[in-house]
Amino acid sequence: MKRFECLQAIASLIRDELFVTTAGGATAEWNGIHPSDGNIQVKTLGLCSSIGLGLALSLPKRKVFVFDGDGALWMNLGSLATIGLHQPKNLIHICWDNQQYESSGGEPTVATAGKIDFAGVARNAGIQSSCAATTIEELKQAVGHALSHDGPHFIWVRIEAGRAEAPPLPYDELENKYHFIRYVEETEGINILRVPMPASYLLK
Amino acid sequence: MGTEAGAQQILAGLKEAGIDLVSSVPDINMLQLINLLYADKQITHVPVGREEEGVGVCAGAHLGGKKTALLMQNGGLLNSCNGLTTTALQFGMPIVLLIYYAGDIGDNAFHMVGLVTEPVLQGLGIKYIVMRDPTKVKQDIAGAVTLANSSKRPVALLLTRAVL
Repeated sequence: MKRFECLQAIASLIRDELFVTTAGGATAEWNGIHPSDGNIQVKTLGLCSSIGLGLALSLPKRKVFVFDGDGALWMNLGSLATIGLHQPKNLIHICWDNQQYESSGGEPTVATAGKIDFAGVARNAGIQSSCAATTIEELKQAVGHALSHDGPHFIWVRIEAGRAEAPPLPYDELENKYHFIRYVEETEGINILRVPMPASYLLK
Repeated sequence: MGTEAGAQQILAGLKEAGIDLVSSVPDINMLQLINLLYADKQITHVPVGREEEGVGVCAGAHLGGKKTALLMQNGGLLNSCNGLTTTALQFGMPIVLLIYYAGDIGDNAFHMVGLVTEPVLQGLGIKYIVMRDPTKVKQDIAGAVTLANSSKRPVALLLTRAVL
């Protein structure tokens, strides 16, 4: 199955969740399918799972999706252990595994040899709700379960390589960040950017 | 190991400056401070396995409204350079970096790490203070937090043995 059809299936299940998307094809495809200020792109390969963890811990009542890739997850495999340690109930971590570094030209990743079981790694790192989805139906079921149950959740999805036609993001990182933060401020009723009085001015 | 009084002063400085989430990787010289963080109820403490994860955790927590700091040794600063560049700096994320200054004058280990620490921070365009005066700890922390928030960039505090 293709990532694009998987993402379309997820779009039919969600409401106001937040999405952290990896440096790779998933970002443009997801923003094409579900354009929202609740989407934040990631530029550091591997770091989306850690960013998702920080976001989930700071907004424990909000569901946070992470769209990871096999190359990115390999680079930060330790983040699974860290998520397993902290147990964020609201984190839904999905690894789109196309068995290659697609954005870098298709070189092999650790997944290419077919030896690694990412769901098994996640489970043994302490993420109990961890599964592999091999069909769209299984994926929808797993995401539906993750949306209605406490996590953390990890879903491993092996997909066909190849990118759907999707326009590039309409904004750069800074604009993306400001849109995202304003969206969180508005939907959570909190203030993030305004600092009432600088700390150094309060010192005696 | 640091002293209890030094660690308490740093923790109080962080709280007074509004920091409410600290991610960390240990160093022996910050043992007392890390023990205090584990016990503290007010600050969310997020230990990670590698320092670059901590950059991600702090960046994500900032997006969710936390005021963050990342505690690590300067070897960990070297581990985090890509995350600092392509996440913290490229997106404009305020993160206070609390870095133990191994290899500083008077420190017995990791002299090479000590040698490259300040040039690396300069190369990254991260402003920093070398903290040598225990009477200025709160002032230095408040200054770093103020600049991190106003510039929306990481700011580093290099902690020497004198203040720990």
